Amino acid sequence: MKPLKKISQIAIIASSLLLIIAYFVPIWRIDLWAPQYPEGLSMSIWLSKLSGQVDIINGLNHYIGMSQIKEEMFPEFKILPYAVAAIIALGILTGLSKNRRMLIGFLVILMLSGVVAMYDFWSWGYEYGHNLDDSAAIKVPGMAYQPPLIGYKELLNFGAYSIPDIGGWLFVLLGAITISTLIFEIKTNK
Amino acid sequence: MKMKYLKIAASALAIIGMNACKPSADKTSSGSFLAGDAAEKVYVKPGTHDEFYNIVSGGFNGQLSVVGLPSGRMLKIIPVFSQFAESGWGYSEETKPMLNTSHGFVPWDDSHHVALSTTKSEHDGRWAFINGNNTPRIARVSLSTFRTEEIIEIPNSGGNHSSPFITANTEYAVAGTRFSVPPDNNADVPISSFKQNFKGYISFVSIDKVTGRMGIKFQLKTPGVSFDLARAGKGKSADWFFFSTYNTEQANTLLEVNASQKDKDFILAVNWKKAEEYLAKGKGKKEAAKYAHNVYSEETHSATSTILNEVMTLDPKECPDMLYFMPCPKSPHGCDVDPTGQFIVGSGKLAAVIPVFSFDKMLKAIANKTYDGNFDGIPVLKYDAVLHGEVKKPGLGPLHTEFDGQGNAITSFFVSSELVKWNIAKLEVIDRVPTFYSVGHLSIPGGPTAKPYGKYVVAYNKITKDRYLPTGPELAQSAQLYDISGEKMKLLLDFPTVGEPHYAESIPASLIEKNTKKIFKLEENKHPYVAKGEKETKVVRKGNEVHVYMTAIRSHFSPDNIEGIKLGDVVYFHLTNLEQDWDVPHGFAVRGALNAEILVMPGETSTLKWIPTKVGVTPMYCTDFCSALHQEMQGYIRVSPAGSKVPLSWGTGKNPVADAEKKVAKR
Amino acid sequence: MLTLLPFFLWSCGGAEQRADKPKTDDSVLEKQEEVHGQEVKELALSTPLDQAMVKEGLAIYELKCSACHKLTDEKLVGPGWTGVTKRRKPTWIVNMITNVDMMLAEDAEAQKMLEECLVRMPNQNITATEARSLIEFMRQNDGEK
Repeated sequence: MKPLKKISQIAIIASSLLLIIAYFVPIWRIDLWAPQYPEGLSMSIWLSKLSGQVDIINGLNHYIGMSQIKEEMFPEFKILPYAVAAIIALGILTGLSKNRRMLIGFLVILMLSGVVAMYDFWSWGYEYGHNLDDSAAIKVPGMAYQPPLIGYKELLNFGAYSIPDIGGWLFVLLGAITISTLIFEIKTNK
Repeated sequence: MKMKYLKIAASALAIIGMNACKPSADKTSSGSFLAGDAAEKVYVKPGTHDEFYNIVSGGFNGQLSVVGLPSGRMLKIIPVFSQFAESGWGYSEETKPMLNTSHGFVPWDDSHHVALSTTKSEHDGRWAFINGNNTPRIARVSLSTFRTEEIIEIPNSGGNHSSPFITANTEYAVAGTRFSVPPDNNADVPISSFKQNFKGYISFVSIDKVTGRMGIKFQLKTPGVSFDLARAGKGKSADWFFFSTYNTEQANTLLEVNASQKDKDFILAVNWKKAEEYLAKGKGKKEAAKYAHNVYSEETHSATSTILNEVMTLDPKECPDMLYFMPCPKSPHGCDVDPTGQFIVGSGKLAAVIPVFSFDKMLKAIANKTYDGNFDGIPVLKYDAVLHGEVKKPGLGPLHTEFDGQGNAITSFFVSSELVKWNIAKLEVIDRVPTFYSVGHLSIPGGPTAKPYGKYVVAYNKITKDRYLPTGPELAQSAQLYDISGEKMKLLLDFPTVGEPHYAESIPASLIEKNTKKIFKLEENKHPYVAKGEKETKVVRKGNEVHVYMTAIRSHFSPDNIEGIKLGDVVYFHLTNLEQDWDVPHGFAVRGALNAEILVMPGETSTLKWIPTKVGVTPMYCTDFCSALHQEMQGYIRVSPAGSKVPLSWGTGKNPVADAEKKVAKR
Repeated sequence: MLTLLPFFLWSCGGAEQRADKPKTDDSVLEKQEEVHGQEVKELALSTPLDQAMVKEGLAIYELKCSACHKLTDEKLVGPGWTGVTKRRKPTWIVNMITNVDMMLAEDAEAQKMLEECLVRMPNQNITATEARSLIEFMRQNDGEK
C-alpha cells in the first residue's frame, strides 16, 4: 500500500486544524419562530457553553412545564473540548503517518463520534421535550415538545429549526474531506 | 479525478452555505392577508366622518379613548379615573371630588372594560361604563358631553375586573371581584384562612333609567374564587348573568401554578331576577362598608362626593335556586353570550378546546337536578348536561369572543396570535387570520349586543414590536382592523392606540353624532362662583381665601389685572367662559401653579386653585389658541408680602387705545 | 344526528345581522340643537319702545355682549353701541347677532369690521326673539323713547 499523497496529507491536517475554530464559534443552533416573535429567538450550543436567548426561551417553556435549559444539564460540555482536541490530534497524526489504514481508522472514529453526538443530542431532546412538570399551567393532551434533531418541527405556536452552526459545519467539512481523500487515494493508487 | 475531489469539497461548502437560509416569517406576514382594496375601505375623505365611534378603554392610563372606524383616527381621550393635566380633570376644584374614594383622593386607576348602554340588548347611545380595576370603581360617561358624570366605588372587592358588564336594558352594571377578600368590616384575618374567611363578592349596581344615576343595589357573597369576566344573558336568558371564574383551587399564593391545577373551573350562572325577589322578601342583610359615590352635575359644573357606610348583601346559602356553577375547562377568561342569548362561550385560556354551553340545556339540567355535586353549597351542573359542544383544535390561548350576527363567532387567541372565526351551531372553524402580535381583546361593532352590525373586527394586541416606527423601549399598543363582511377575514389597517386597550365597543356614529353637546348654556349655569357677564366679575376676600370671579371671551380675561394678593393667601380663579359658540374653549394658566392649567368650555365655569409662593408680579394667560388675538389674552397678578397694606383691586383696565382715539376725534 | 339539525338552524335563526340604519328611541336621548338664525330680511320697529323687551335686551347684553361692546362710542373688542341703530339697519344688526358666519362670508360691511377688530364676532347662541329685544335695548341706548 502506497503512502498517502502530499495533497491528501495537507487536506487532512489542514481540515483537522480548522476544527480549532470550533472552540471559538457555536457548533449548533436552534431557531424558534412564533407569531409574536417575528424576529425569531435563537439559542446556540458551543463546545462548552450555551449562548443566545436562553432565558427568554426558558421563560416561555415554563408555561408548558418544560425544564429550564441550563449548562449543568449538559455534562457533555466537560468532555467535548477534550474529545475535539483528541480528534484534531488524531487527524494530524493520520496526516503525518501517511498511512491509509490510519486514514480509514480516522474516518471510522469520526463517523462514530458523529453518530454518538447525534444520539446524545436526540436523547437530551427527548428527555427535555417529554419530561414535563405535572403542575404546568398549559397542558395539551398527547403533546410533547421534543425539538427536532435536525430540520423543522412545529411545537404549539412555535416553529423550531435545528441546524448545525459554523463549528458543526467544520465537522461536516472534516468528514467530507476525509471521505474524499480516501476515495481519491483509492482511485489514484489502484 | 482531481475534478471529482473538488466537486465533493464544493458540495460540502454548499451545505455550509445553507446555514444562511434562516427560517422565514413569510408564512403569516401581513401581506398575504391584506385585502386588495384595503386603502379604499379605510379611507375617510378629508372633511367626512367615520362610520363608527370606537370607544376604547385606556388600560393602565385609567382613561377612555374615542377612535373613528374605519380610519383608526383618534378623536379624543376622555379622562375617567386618572388626572389629566391637559384639561385640568382631577386638578380643577370642580372635578377633584370625582376621584375621591374611601381611601382618600386616588387620582389614577387601571381601567379595563367598556360597556355601552343598551335597550333590549341593543345600543342606545346614551352612556359608556368603565371599571377601575385597582381601586374598585365603576364610572359612567355621558356620550353627549363625552365627560365622566359619575363614579361609584365598590366595597368588599379587590380588583374590579369582572365589570362593568350590563344587563339587557341597562338595569344593572356588575362588579365581580377578581380577588376574593374577607369582608371590609372584618378584614384582619390570616391570609391562609382563605377558605374560611374569603368571599367572592359580586355587586349589582343599579342604573336609573332616566338619569343614569348609579347605586349598589346588592352584593352576592359567593364562595372564594376569582371572577374574571362576565356577560348578561339576552332575550330568553336576559334574567341571567354569567361570570367566568378561576382559582377554584382557592389558592392564596403562587396562583400561576396553584390556580391552574384543576381540569375545570366554573362559569357561574346568576339568576338576578331571583336575587331581586329574595331582596324584596327581605332576605338581604345590610353590612357596614365604606365607599364613595361621586356625581358630576352639568348644571353646577361641579362634582360632589358622598361617603356611604353600608351595603346590602345576599348570602347564597339563604337563597337557593339563585346560583349555579357550570364546569368549564381550565381557567376560563372570556364568557360571552351570543346574540340570541342561547349560547354561552367559555374561553379556557389554558384549554385546548372552546366549550359552548346551551342556555336551554342549562335550564333543563337545573329542572332535572343533573348535578355533579356542589361547590361550597352551590350546585355544580354536569358538564355534559349543559354543553352544546366543543370547538376542537381552535388555536392556543383563547381569550375573548364576539359575534358577527351571521351565526358566527370570532375568538381571539393570545398564544397563537390569531383571530379565529367559527360557526356557533356547527362548532366548526371557518377562517383564521394572524394578529400582530398576541391579540387580547377584540371588538365587532355591536358585537356583544343582540344585533351586531358586523362589518369589521378590531384586534387589540398586547405586543407591538416592529409594527410602527420604533420609539425606544416603550411602544404604542397596536390594533388591527379586519373586514369581516365576507367569509374570509381580510386585514385592512394597523393603528396605534393609547394606554393598553382592554376591550372596546363600537357603535354607529348616527346613534351618537346628533346628540353631541356643543356648548353649555350660560343661562343654565348654576355654578356658585359663576360670573354671568363681565358686570358680575369681582374679587372677594374671605380671610386668606381670595375668590376671583373671572370671565373669558375672545380675547381678554376680566379682570386681567389684580392687586392686593398677599403671600399666605389661597387664590381661587373661578373662570367662566362667556362664549356661546361651539369649539371656542379658553384655557387658563398662572406661572408657578402647582397643579395644572384648566381648559374651560363655552358657558362653563371651572376653578384653578393657586397658592402664590413668591412676592412679585405673576403673569397669567389663555392656553388655548382662541382667536387672532389669543397671544394678547394675558394679564398680571401682583403678589405682595404677607401683612402688606396693598388694597385688593382689580379691573380689565382702562382702554388707552380707545381713549387716545377719542382724544383725536374730539380734536 | 339529522334530528338535531333543525334545532341548530332554529337556534341561530334569531341572530340576523343588521343591514339597515340603526333606529333609536329618541326619547331617552338628550338633544341640543345649535341656534343658527335664518337670514332676517325684514324687521318692523314700533314706537314707543317695548319696555319689557328693553329690559330683556339689557339682561342679554350684560350676559353675552358686554365683554366686548361698551354702551358708549368707545371700541373695546368690538365697536361701542352708541349710534349703532343710526349707522346700521335693524336687519343688519340682527343678522350679525344671529347669523354671523353668513354675514362675515358675504357682507362687505361686516368684513370691514373684522379687518378692524381682528376678532370674529362670536355666535353667542341668541335666538331671533332675543335679538329683537337687543334691538329694542340698542334703540333705547341711542335715546329713542
